[in-house]
Amino acid sequence: MGAWKTRGMTQAPATPPPAGLREPAHQVSPRAVGYWRIAATIPSAVVAVLVVGGYVVWWLTEGRPSWWALVLAGLVLVVLVVYPVVMPPVRYRVHRWEVTDTAIHTRAGWITISSRIAPLSRVQTVDSRQGALMRLFRLASLTVTTASAAGPITIDCLDAEQARELVATLTAITGASEGDAT
Amino acid sequence: MSDDRGRQQVEEPEEWQRLDPRNLLLDPVKALGQFLVPAVIALVGLSARNDGLPWWSLPVVVLGAIAFGVLPWLTTGWRITDTQFQKRTGLLNRTTSTAPLDRVRSVDLEASLLHRVLGLAKVQIGTGVDDDRITLDAVSRERAAGLRAHLLARRQVAVPAPAGAPHELDDGSGEANGPAVSAPAPETLLAAVDWSWLRFAPFSLGRLVLLAGLVGLLGQFGEDLPFLDEEHLTDGWRWVTSFAVWLVAAVVLVAGLVLWVLVAVTGYVVQWWDMRLTRGQGSLHLTAGLFTTRSISVEETRVRGVELREPVLLRLVGGGELSTLATGVGSEGVTRILPPCPRPVCVGVGDDVLGAPGRLTTDLTPHGPLARRRSHVRQALTVLDLALLSVLPVVLLDVAWLGWWLPVAVVVVGLPLAAVVAEASYRHLGHALDPTHLTVGHAQVARLRTVLETDGIIGWVLTESWFQRRLGLADLVATTAAGAEKVLLRDVPRDRAIALADTATPGVLTAWTA
Repeated sequence: MGAWKTRGMTQAPATPPPAGLREPAHQVSPRAVGYWRIAATIPSAVVAVLVVGGYVVWWLTEGRPSWWALVLAGLVLVVLVVYPVVMPPVRYRVHRWEVTDTAIHTRAGWITISSRIAPLSRVQTVDSRQGALMRLFRLASLTVTTASAAGPITIDCLDAEQARELVATLTAITGASEGDAT
Repeated sequence: MSDDRGRQQVEEPEEWQRLDPRNLLLDPVKALGQFLVPAVIALVGLSARNDGLPWWSLPVVVLGAIAFGVLPWLTTGWRITDTQFQKRTGLLNRTTSTAPLDRVRSVDLEASLLHRVLGLAKVQIGTGVDDDRITLDAVSRERAAGLRAHLLARRQVAVPAPAGAPHELDDGSGEANGPAVSAPAPETLLAAVDWSWLRFAPFSLGRLVLLAGLVGLLGQFGEDLPFLDEEHLTDGWRWVTSFAVWLVAAVVLVAGLVLWVLVAVTGYVVQWWDMRLTRGQGSLHLTAGLFTTRSISVEETRVRGVELREPVLLRLVGGGELSTLATGVGSEGVTRILPPCPRPVCVGVGDDVLGAPGRLTTDLTPHGPLARRRSHVRQALTVLDLALLSVLPVVLLDVAWLGWWLPVAVVVVGLPLAAVVAEASYRHLGHALDPTHLTVGHAQVARLRTVLETDGIIGWVLTESWFQRRLGLADLVATTAAGAEKVLLRDVPRDRAIALADTATPGVLTAWTA
């Protein structure tokens, strides 16, 4: 159980710590990389099959597609292959989270990165979500919402057991705060 | 006085009360109205196919409308218990909506022309949750007023306004201790409509949608008009083109403008007739409307800020629009409290609502040369996108006459325009922070200035795109439950964004800034 904590905290920061705002302490489960890869490969494969199929039909019925159409298809295929390869590890390095007694802070993204911070006293709901594929990887996501539609904070792909504990902790902390959090 | 009577009525024992019996007149008419368009379309469709209608079609429509009107009246009930306002509806699926009395944030009354003829009003009760407003349609006007006074009074007893809340720091005109007093303080008038403001009506394009809808409707029915066939049209066209083209264009233009002014002014009068914005009992009250009178109350502790909007056209003539950002007042939470009116009026009322002058006019801290560069790049990219798009018809459709000059023209005309827009947009970009409020300036087409109470900020989102990271900039979003639920500060230097967030909400970022 304590393993994730040590792992998360002892790992050397993959990106240089930004000035002003220290990055959150913990990383998500390393199995997230595998999960994100599979989850990205499936739609990529479907689109790739559709594109290739479309071009084959084009070739058979209309003759050879013009050069720019081929280049375009090539580019699309390259993106479809590169995305599942490159995105998951980058995303894993970027995605970090930390919960203190008073606030929750996450960082997420891969090309565009966003950091989200909310005081726990303003938290309204704590949800966890586990899709079928996530269950296979023993992962769960946790979303904390505030009274603002712009403010949901998600920790993606935590270890399922850890997610459960975190939900309990957060519910206890937020249940104790007064007011209607607006 | 009518308040007292209403209060007695609503404080009667906790039995379910029906809506006003006059609803039996109101609902069928309304239902008929809703049914009218689809029914007419269906009937026209039927009659076009066979000749003549089936004899039963008319009674079916009428009976249906009546049934839809009577059922809600029979099945809807409401009551006030010691702690809750409850409403139940439904014949098969009974739903009961409840609102804890101390959570009632706003009670709005609305009366359409039909309501007013029958002496009824629609009551909407808002709690902290934006989407769930409990609607009573309809109760008698006296009872509605009583209900409102009762609910708002209860709310005041339950939630005394926190001492030192910013709206209490007043301009010293006598109502400074407003929310704390138990006796109903006299209402203070903040603004009333001035008909010289009508000059701003044509410059506010909100009603253009209406006009477009009208034109669309005409277009749809136009096909069935007898004189709109090809022969007549070509005749007409020949007749028109026998005049000089510029004359035709001028006539069309003038006619369009006159129509627009007419629609805009009429709309303005209908919407803002007898507009009064008052403050009393810890709430802001807005009443307005020629046919449908709306009466909106927002509890002042729920008002988290104001927004001053100056769309391009309105800015040209020195006008603006003012809205409050509040929680629990229906979708969006942005309530327009003034019609398009002179900017100084907006600023004055805004200052009154905020409780301290200057935030709407103060100079803002600019975001620096890099933000300016990004503003220019963003606008220039938009133009290039448009240019690329204009290449498409040339390549794909092989429209020879269009030629390659189209993308070139887009670039030549667009780039200088983009530079102007970018510069103007940067000029108004900025922020200011005082101990209680965050002020943000933002401009694209409309110039916006948003003032948000820092107490109302419930989180931060700091977003950095790849390009922004290279420049050390970030978009900072303050999330809030009020208004549009977020306030964006675009392209702030990253460190300054963090310092700003840390200062505005002390303690939240501490764990990560130390």
